[in-house]
Amino acid sequence: MGIVIAVISGKGGVGKTTAVANLGLGVAMNGKRCAVVDFDIGQRNLDMILGLENRVVYDIVQVMDGEATLKQALIKSKVNDNLRFLAASQSKDKRVLNSKKVQKLVKELKENFEYVILDSPAGIESGFEHTIEFADAAIIVVNPEVSSIRDADRAIGILDSKSQKVKEGGEVAKYLIINRIVPEMVQSGEMLKSDDILDILNIKLVGKVPEDSGVIDASNQGKPIILDKHSVAGQAYKRIAARLCGKKIDMKDVEVADSGLFRKLAGIFR
Amino acid sequence: MFDFWKKRRSASVAKDRLSIAIMSDRGGNQTYPFINNLKKEIVEVVRKYVGVRGIEIKKEIDGNFEAISIDVFLEKDRHI
Repeated sequence: MGIVIAVISGKGGVGKTTAVANLGLGVAMNGKRCAVVDFDIGQRNLDMILGLENRVVYDIVQVMDGEATLKQALIKSKVNDNLRFLAASQSKDKRVLNSKKVQKLVKELKENFEYVILDSPAGIESGFEHTIEFADAAIIVVNPEVSSIRDADRAIGILDSKSQKVKEGGEVAKYLIINRIVPEMVQSGEMLKSDDILDILNIKLVGKVPEDSGVIDASNQGKPIILDKHSVAGQAYKRIAARLCGKKIDMKDVEVADSGLFRKLAGIFR
Repeated sequence: MFDFWKKRRSASVAKDRLSIAIMSDRGGNQTYPFINNLKKEIVEVVRKYVGVRGIEIKKEIDGNFEAISIDVFLEKDRHI
């Protein structure tokens, strides 16, 4: 039985889908069989980030409704054999989801993969609730910015009340990714420090990802940034994926400025 | 010089504002994790004596006091 991880954020646009794509690929690169699932019904996006938008034949709703089997709908990654992708429906509304169907799908995924990573829709509506309902763990993605952190706290509150594991008296493991850190701004006191964010949200940190203009370039091409060996964000995702696979990797302090000169120099040799 | 100070402090301003906003978000949440069990048990107890139509539990905060207010709605045509 695999582990199901829901990736959530509260606020949209913080890099949730990018995180899912990179962590999924990262986990697969660690030799684990991994499925990434787009739960954002009506706003399919993960396919673009993974570069698989042309291969989508069946989607998640068709699988849940029995119009296609899971096997038919899963799409193999172009870059890693361990990674499979299940697309969201583009035409349907997220109201088509219901707990029973979601539970059945999640169970089948768990039986076939070591890691199942669910890309939650933004917001805290029904689509979000269905994504977290049967998850064993959640990764919360925030930006070091007030509205993202506040919305994340609301999402964590709902996670704690709606999760099946919590209802059964257990606990959902919660991990934080702080995304889009600008080291120079943290240094000059213009951006919240990781420690401050952890104080406020009171959950465990699993990784810090620095701002990286390469992320847009990567999504333009449909090649997750983790494939770029020179990218600071890609390296950060690599470390997080390894941690998810149980490897002990020290938390790199991306907030201190080995960034400045070193990064500029590294840039010359790209 | 003035600009310098303003910049230095904006992250700590953010921290203070966030702490307060989140505290009030959590408080205004009106719920405790045990609220559903509490409802169920109260309904069970009251039902031993009289018919129950519904129950409402509110978390109330007034200054330093925190209280749970419980309203149990009874059946209309009860026979006591």
